[in-house]
Amino acid sequence: MRVGIDVGGTFTDLAAVGPDGLVIAKVPTTPRDQSEAVLAAVLASGIDPAAVQALAHGMTVATNALLERRGARTALVTTEGFRDVIEIGRQARADLYDLSRHNPPPLVPRELRVTVRERMGPDGVVEALDPADLARAVSDLRALAVESVAVCLLFGYLHPAHEEAVARALRDALPGVEVVASHEVLPEMREYERASATVATAYLRPRLRGYLERLVERAEGARLPTPTVMQSSGGVIDAQTASLLAATTVLSGPAGGVVGAAYVAVASGFADALTFDMGGTSTDVAAIVEGSVATTTEAVVAGVPLRLAMTEVHTVSAGGGSIAWVDDGGRLRVGPTSAGAVPGPAAYGAGGVEPTVTDANVVLGRLPDGLVLGGSIALSGELAARAVARLGERLGLGVEETALGIVRVADSAMAQALRVVSVERGRDPRAGALVAFGGAGPLHACALAEDLGIGAVLVPAASGVLSALGLALADVRRDHVRGVRATLDPEGTADVAAALDRLAAEALADLPGAVLTLAVDCRYAGQGHELTVPVADAAEATAGFHRQHALRHGWDRPDQPVEVIAVRVAATVPTERPALAPVPVVDGPVAGPAAVPIAGATVWVGAGWAGACDETGTLVLRREGAA
Amino acid sequence: MSLDPIGLVVLGNALAGVAEEMGAVLVRAAFSANIKERRDSSCALFAPDGRMVAQAAHVPVHLGSMPETVAAVLARDPVPGDVFLVNDPYTGGSHLPDITLVAPIAVDGAVLAIAAVRAHHADVGGMRAGSMPPGATELYQEGLVIPPVRLVRGGAVDANLLDLLLANVRQPEERRGDLDAQLAAIHLATTRLAELADRHGAATVLAAYDAMIAYAERRTREAIRALPDGVHAAADVLEGDGVTDDDIPIQATVEIAGDRIIVDFAGTAPAVRGNVNCPLAVTRAGCLFALRVLLPGDIPLNAGVSAPLEVRAEPGSLVDARPPSAVAAGNVETSSRIADVVMAALAEVADLPAQGQGTMNNLVLGGAGWSTYETIGGGQGASSRGPGPSGVHVAMSNTRNTPVEALELEAPVRVRRYELAYGTGGTGRHAGGDGIVREVEALAPAALSLVADRRRHGPRGAQGGGPGMVGEHRVNGAPVGAKAGVDLVPGDVVHVRTPGGGGWGAPTGATGDPSGETGGR
Repeated sequence: MRVGIDVGGTFTDLAAVGPDGLVIAKVPTTPRDQSEAVLAAVLASGIDPAAVQALAHGMTVATNALLERRGARTALVTTEGFRDVIEIGRQARADLYDLSRHNPPPLVPRELRVTVRERMGPDGVVEALDPADLARAVSDLRALAVESVAVCLLFGYLHPAHEEAVARALRDALPGVEVVASHEVLPEMREYERASATVATAYLRPRLRGYLERLVERAEGARLPTPTVMQSSGGVIDAQTASLLAATTVLSGPAGGVVGAAYVAVASGFADALTFDMGGTSTDVAAIVEGSVATTTEAVVAGVPLRLAMTEVHTVSAGGGSIAWVDDGGRLRVGPTSAGAVPGPAAYGAGGVEPTVTDANVVLGRLPDGLVLGGSIALSGELAARAVARLGERLGLGVEETALGIVRVADSAMAQALRVVSVERGRDPRAGALVAFGGAGPLHACALAEDLGIGAVLVPAASGVLSALGLALADVRRDHVRGVRATLDPEGTADVAAALDRLAAEALADLPGAVLTLAVDCRYAGQGHELTVPVADAAEATAGFHRQHALRHGWDRPDQPVEVIAVRVAATVPTERPALAPVPVVDGPVAGPAAVPIAGATVWVGAGWAGACDETGTLVLRREGAA
Repeated sequence: MSLDPIGLVVLGNALAGVAEEMGAVLVRAAFSANIKERRDSSCALFAPDGRMVAQAAHVPVHLGSMPETVAAVLARDPVPGDVFLVNDPYTGGSHLPDITLVAPIAVDGAVLAIAAVRAHHADVGGMRAGSMPPGATELYQEGLVIPPVRLVRGGAVDANLLDLLLANVRQPEERRGDLDAQLAAIHLATTRLAELADRHGAATVLAAYDAMIAYAERRTREAIRALPDGVHAAADVLEGDGVTDDDIPIQATVEIAGDRIIVDFAGTAPAVRGNVNCPLAVTRAGCLFALRVLLPGDIPLNAGVSAPLEVRAEPGSLVDARPPSAVAAGNVETSSRIADVVMAALAEVADLPAQGQGTMNNLVLGGAGWSTYETIGGGQGASSRGPGPSGVHVAMSNTRNTPVEALELEAPVRVRRYELAYGTGGTGRHAGGDGIVREVEALAPAALSLVADRRRHGPRGAQGGGPGMVGEHRVNGAPVGAKAGVDLVPGDVVHVRTPGGGGWGAPTGATGDPSGETGGR
C-alpha cells in the first residue's frame, strides 16, 4: 500500500492506495508540529502500518518559515564589494507608482553579511583568496552566533575553488553551524538569483531538518516506513535529502495536488490539462503537459527568487469566500478581502453580511439552498439573497443579475490565471481538459472552460484528497544543474557532452536506477537570456535550440553561433501506479444546467454541458459541439 | 452600446492581460540583455482613434509618451497589415534609442485596436557607441532618425528599409533580433484581439474601451476634486546639459481647478545646446507620472487618467524642444526632474514622499563590436509612511540591472564594486533611501558616456527631513562631471555613487549634513 499525507491550512488529508482501493482520512492540522497530525491521520484511517510500503508527505513547514520569515539566523559570505547584491536584487522597485512601498526584506539582514577578499572572473582566478582575510571573516562569523551560513562568491558556479575553501574553513571552525555553498545548490550564472537560492537553503535547512527528524522518529515509533517528502518539482525525495536541499520543498503543498490532477487526467485519457483548485480564499492553477506536471525555474516565493525546478503553480486571491464590493468608480469588484472561515459567507448564517462568491452561487441555485456543509452549517438562501441584493441596490441591478455579475467577475480573474499558465507559456489549452477540485472548483469549471475554449471538464473522484493522492503516486525525483561556458562548435559540443556525462553519473550515483532526462540551457552568442532545450545528447543541442527558439519566440538564426550556459539532468525513479478500483463521482449521466452534489463539493454543470463517470470513476463533462 | 459594471471588469481584465502577455512575449523573444535582463521596454493597446486603453506596467516614461507615437502613426493613414516603426522624437518618439512599433489590429477587416511596442535599443548609431553621447548638440549626432515609416506592408517586412536601418547601427544582428521580438508582440496582440472579438463581439470590445476610459477619468477627476483649488509653484534645476555645467532652471506652476490639473512650465529655460531637451511627449509623461502617484492605486492607467491633465509649455523651451535639438538625456534625466518639480508643487496640498534620487545614472560603455548600457538605482525619498527604499529606480524608469556575471561574460569589463552607499539617504524622522556604489573597470579600450544629475544639488527632504546626499562620478579617483564622455584605456576604473533619497519629518536628534551639497564621505 502507498500512502500520501498532505498537510493543508485547516485539514491534514490521507490517501492510501492499495489492492483494496482507495482509503481516505481527514484530521485537523496541528500547526505547532505538523507531524502530529500526520500520525493522527494514519490512526484515523485505520490502515495497518505494516502494510504500508511507501509513505510520502507534503507539508508547509518551509513555505510558512519563508512567508513568516521565521527561518534560522543566517549569515551570508560574499565577495568583497558585493555585500548588498542580496538586498539590491534586480534593482526593481516594489510598485511603479506607490513610492513608499518596500520590497520584501532579504532573508539575511545587512549586519549578517560578511565579505572576503577574493575574485573569480569568467576565466578563473582574478584575485586569490586572501588567507588572512578569510581568517578574519571566520572570526567575524563566530562572533555573529548564527545557526547557518550561505556562501556565494562571484563566478562560484563556474570556478568553485574559492567557495570550497571558504566553506571548508567555516565547517572546520564552526561545528554545528550549517554551511551551504552556492555551487552546491544552484551552480548557475546570475549572482543574485544564485545567492537567493543559496540563502534560502541555509535559512530553511535547520528548521526543516528539525521537523523532518521528528517526523521520521514518529513514523518509526508507529512502525511506518521512513517518509519521503514532496518537493516543489512534483517529485518526492528521501527525508534526509529534503532537509539538505530545503529550498526545494517550498511548494511541497500545492505540488501534490497538481501531481494528483495529472494522474487523474492521464487516467481519463488527457495528456494535456490545466488544473483548477479553488478553495475558500485562493485559487491555484497549473498546467499538465504530455502527462507531466509543467515546471519552471523562474518562481518567486514570498519575495524570494528560487531558480529551482518548481511546479508552475499560479495563485490568485479569489475563492468562494471572496467578498464582492462596489468601488468608488462604480465597478463591481471581487476580493481580495475574504470572509474567511469565520464569519464566512452570509449564507453560513454565522454573522457574515458581506456578499461572497459562495452567496452568489447560492442565489443562482448552483449551491442548493439548505445544503449542509461539513456536517454542521446549512446554507441559507435567504441570507445569501439579502446580502447580494444589498450590493445590487448600489449597482442598480436585480439580485440574480448581481449574483451572475459576482460570478463572472470572479471567473474573469481565474480565467486570467489559467491564461498565464497556458497561452502565456505558449500552450494551447483547447485540446486538453480542465481538472477541477477544491471546495469551489467544480462550481466554476464549466464557465472557465468555455472562456478558454476547453471542451472537457474532469471532476475526480478523490477531489477532496487529491493532493494526498498525488503524494501517494508521485515519482522520486532529483534535479541537477551545472553551469558551463561553451560554444556549440565541435570542440564545445564535446565539452558539453562531457559535462552532461559527469552530471548524469552524479545523478545516477545519487539515485541508482533512475531514468535521466537531459537538457541544456542555450542562447545565441551575445543574447541576454537562455532557453532550456531537452536533448538526448549534446549533438542534438544546436538543432534543438534553433527549433525551440522558432517555436517559442517566432524567429531563429540558424547561421548564428549557439552558446551553452548550463546543463541539466532530472533523475526520476517512476512509481508504479496501481489501477484504482473506480468509485464513481455520480451515478448515471448528468446534463446541464444542473447542480450535482458530490462528496465534499457541488458540481455546476453549465447549460450545454453533459457527461457521466468514465471507467476510472472521474466525472467527464463535455460541451456540446466540442470534440 | 454601453457596458454594465460587470462587463467593464471582465473586459478590462482581458485587455490588461493582452498587454501583459505582449510584454512577456517581447522580453522572452528579445535578443539583447537590455530588453531581456533590464526590461527596458513597454507595451500598450489603444482604441482605433488613438486613446490608450490598456498597458502593462513597465517603464513610466515610455507609457506616458506613447499616445503621441500612436497619434503620429495615425496621421499617416495606416491600414491593416502595416506595422510602422518610429524613433523620431519630433514625430511621436521620445529619444532615438527607443524604437516603437505601432500597428492597426484588424478583425474581419475593421480596425479593432492599435498595438504599440516600445523598446530601448542598445545602439542606434550616431557619434558614440550606445547612442547616448553626452556632448551632442544636434539630434543627428545621437543616431539614425526614423520618422513613422512602414516596416511591414501587407504583412511583409520591407527588406530595403530594414537593410538601411541595420547598416546604420553598431550591432545589426542584435537589432534585428530585438525588432523580431517586437514584431512577435504585435503578432500576439493580433491573435488575442481576434479571440476577444470572437468571444465577446467586436462591438462589445469597442464599448469596453469607452467604459474603461470613462471609469478611469471619473475616478481621476474625483481624486483631483478632493484637493483644494489653488495654484502652487515649484522650481528646480538640471545640472548642465553635457556642453556646459550651468544649472538649467525648470519651473512649474500647478493649478488645481475643480476636477482639472493644469501644469504650466512658464519660467523654464529655453532649449539648450546639449542633449537634455525634451519633446513635449516626454514632458507630458513626467506630469502624468506625478499625477498617477497621487491617485488611488487601483485606477487603471489609460487615456481617462490623462484627460483632466493639461500641460502648457513654451514652444522651443527645454520642455517643448524643436528640431534639431538633441534629446537623448531629456528622456532619462529631464523627465525625472519634471516629475520632481510637479510633485514638489503638489506636495503643498497632498501627502507625497520626499524627493528620490532624481536621475537614472546612465552608464554607457562601448568598444570594438560591443556596447553595454546600464542605469543605476539610488535612494527613494522617505514618506509619512516610513523610510525610503534603497537602491531602486525612483520615477520614470524601472529597469533592472544586468547581473555582474552576465555582463562580464559579454563585455570586456570587470565590476569592482556593487553595494549600497550606506548613510547617503537624507536624515529625518524617516530616513531617505540609500544610493548605490558601482565601480567598473575597463579591460579593453572603451568609450564611456556618463549621463546623470543630482551631483551638486541633493534630492530635497520633506516636512523638515534632510536632503539626500548628492551622487558622484570618478575615473581613476579623479572627479568627473554629471554628464561626461571619457575614452578609457584598459585598467581605468569608473566609480559611480548614486544619490540618496530625501528624508521625511524633522530628525529626532540625528546628525547629518543639512545642506546635502557635499561630495564623498
